[in-house]
Amino acid sequence: MTPDMRAEYGRALVELGRANPDIVVLGADTTDSLKTAGFGRKFPDRLFNVGIAEGNMVSVAAGLAYSGKIPFASTYAIFLPGRAVDQIRNNVAYPSRGAGRGLNVKLVASHGGLSVGPDGGSHQQLEDIAIMRAIPNFRVLVPADSVSVYHLTRTMAETYGPFYMRMARSKTDIIYDESEDLAPGRAVLAREGSDCTIAACGITLSMALNAADALHQEGISCRVLDMFSVKPLDGDSIEKAARQTGAILTCEEHNVHGGMGSAVAESVCESYPVPVRRLGVGDTFGESARDSEIPDLLEAHGISSVNIARRVRELRRDMQ
Amino acid sequence: MGSGYCSIRRNALRARALVVRATAAAGSGHPGGSFSMAEAMGCLFKHMRYDPTDPLWEERDRLILSKGHAAPGLFSYLAISGFIKESEMETLRSLGSRLQGHPDLKCPGVEFCGGSLGTGLSYSVGVALALRLDKNPGRVFAVVGDGESNEGQIWEATMSASKFGLDNLVVVLDRNYVQQDSYTEGVMPLDAAVPGPDPVAARGDRSAWRTADKWRAFGWHTIEVDGHRIEQLDGALHRALAHRGGPVIIVSRSVKGRGVEHMEDNPQWHGKAPSHQTVPIILRELESQAAVAPSIIAGDMARLDREVSRCQEAGADFVHLDVMDGAFVPNTTFDHAKIRELRPITDIPFDTHLMISEPVRSVRRYAEVGSDIITVHAEACDASEFGEILDYLHSNEVGAGIAVNPATPVPEWLDAFVPKLDQFIVMSVVPGRSGQAYIEESHQKTQEVAAYLRDRGFGGVIEADGGVNASNVAGCFADGARTFVGGSSMVGQADMGRAIREMRSLILGARRLGLLREAHRLGGPELVEKWAALHTVGGKADSIREMAAEASLL
Repeated sequence: MTPDMRAEYGRALVELGRANPDIVVLGADTTDSLKTAGFGRKFPDRLFNVGIAEGNMVSVAAGLAYSGKIPFASTYAIFLPGRAVDQIRNNVAYPSRGAGRGLNVKLVASHGGLSVGPDGGSHQQLEDIAIMRAIPNFRVLVPADSVSVYHLTRTMAETYGPFYMRMARSKTDIIYDESEDLAPGRAVLAREGSDCTIAACGITLSMALNAADALHQEGISCRVLDMFSVKPLDGDSIEKAARQTGAILTCEEHNVHGGMGSAVAESVCESYPVPVRRLGVGDTFGESARDSEIPDLLEAHGISSVNIARRVRELRRDMQ
Repeated sequence: MGSGYCSIRRNALRARALVVRATAAAGSGHPGGSFSMAEAMGCLFKHMRYDPTDPLWEERDRLILSKGHAAPGLFSYLAISGFIKESEMETLRSLGSRLQGHPDLKCPGVEFCGGSLGTGLSYSVGVALALRLDKNPGRVFAVVGDGESNEGQIWEATMSASKFGLDNLVVVLDRNYVQQDSYTEGVMPLDAAVPGPDPVAARGDRSAWRTADKWRAFGWHTIEVDGHRIEQLDGALHRALAHRGGPVIIVSRSVKGRGVEHMEDNPQWHGKAPSHQTVPIILRELESQAAVAPSIIAGDMARLDREVSRCQEAGADFVHLDVMDGAFVPNTTFDHAKIRELRPITDIPFDTHLMISEPVRSVRRYAEVGSDIITVHAEACDASEFGEILDYLHSNEVGAGIAVNPATPVPEWLDAFVPKLDQFIVMSVVPGRSGQAYIEESHQKTQEVAAYLRDRGFGGVIEADGGVNASNVAGCFADGARTFVGGSSMVGQADMGRAIREMRSLILGARRLGLLREAHRLGGPELVEKWAALHTVGGKADSIREMAAEASLL
């Protein structure tokens, strides 16, 4: 297992493609970058590169899915929900016949969030979770590491319906071992704790775990939830966390409006209201940062383990 | 063997009527774009393989309506083809209906949730790719609008279909020159500019056509047709399906709102439903579509090939072929061998009128050589023979007609056949030779025949044949005739094109007057005024008002 999400995505696709001839893959001039080109080398008649035409890619995927194929359509997040939302909504999510809600299309985006780095604000997709979780029938996954990506790619292939999975550009810490069982709709209790809960997704999970370690040294017991399944959201785990830890801090590399933090806050409000603080990009855009500066860019927007720990302390202080 | 011309024409009329009723009931909807594709849809449903009892049959052809706002136009054909009941059309756009404002998979036979324009062709590419991967013989037919061709994604899909070499994909572009705001050529042109005030001038000016050029440049095989000429659409689909190696587009140049004069070429009717008050007048108008059928024996009998070419150039709707055998009538003209010779000259439908004895013995030969409608004489057969003829013709997709001579009453045995009959010829001369004068009593007879047929569920057309000319054609129309055979009045004229245009204009006048009378009957001068005022395009309202005033209807 490599720490590269895209490499694990590509590996899973080849395995799936070998087992199931209905698996097809689409790319928009990004098959090399998304590591789907390997699938094309193994199964040349099942990889469709439509060129730089993301709306077309999504609609073609919808047609393939309508006809019984299981298409995985991939490109950068900024060009998927960021560009093709009409095709995603009307061609993929909306068509329903009988029990099938939406068409069986898997949209997998790389380059989610600020950690895209050098390409700059135009390429840092900070709104995709908000967009995608507002669309009925879609399930929205934000895995934290390459192991999760591998597992969830397989899960998506085996589960009927439209999915959106957001991957990060950069290599990420490996958090899970290969036996981890990840199921959409079920948050992972990544760390037990009783004084506060940190809900994270994507690259912020490892930050949250580091923050929890630091806070543990100070005698604060932090629960950490991997909210990789932003939709369906695990309301039970959230309610339990609210009841048992009394406060929740969310963190994500996404606009604070509409993202995972919003989803958690909505859930807490309706189940067991406790103080919730949302950490994310404060309704603004990112900017370029060289690869070595990406942690600084994230830090500038408050997305770091140090800041997560600080916000937990503030949250506990506010509650006293 | 036949083209199914008559059944397609009948279905197109039925489809339009269903669209009128459904959109009027809904109070909204898009009749204009439904009408412009009515003939194209009729031809598609003829060519498609489908099973209404098993809408998801694996090997079916897939019809994808990319211009989803024309949903009523699709639903009407799903009703005609048996996917849904005709009565369901009345639920269009209502809460809980399977007939949504735009096509939805809820409705059997619908393969694509249309509505957001420009995406249906990409979706069709996906479906075609999947069928090819599965070695499924099903084919994909996508109906695309010219307005939606403003969407860049249409061209993304065009490139993709070409790249992937999809020869299981056929596009019909409903090129009706109108979109929501206005005329396409003003909003976003697809053809070259044509100077002058006519916003749809490019439709009739081949030198301005650029639409197919674009698709050709993107690697498509292109075919141009008149979108209301069934024979052209049918021929184009045959060729498109035979094409190998890549996708095909049929550019179907059509008239938005076609069939209802006040909706024709009128952007107002892109997305508006007719009022309840006007529905009966509109339905009457739909049944008032007329055609001209020049009879070539009025020309040079030694060069009938040339006469057929003249009919083609003059824009005839049919070529009327009078077959005389020297037994049923004293004269002899030609037989099926000559028709076989003439068939390759034009794709205009052949309206073959058999003035022969014992037609039951030879009708097959006339069908085999490419007749689209064959009419036999009531005097030359009995019920069982006619039944055999009709069954044979219909099973071979040839229209079936019956003709009666001036002295012959409608035979009693015809009653049972009326609903299946495609044509009824009222002879207004004694058949046998060209150039005779119209027998005045024929007006009365045609009116009686029209009433007789109407009462028995007739879905075909009455043809006036014999001495029809500019002086009596309006009267023949008022009697109920809808196809007009012209011998000396058309083929006998040096400029047949002009003669036909004049006849058409007289027929249009008669049609307008008939509709004004209908409006007056239904709602007095107030409805007459309303009806006239609907004709906003091309200053027609004023001339229609004038006509109403002259007829003391206003």
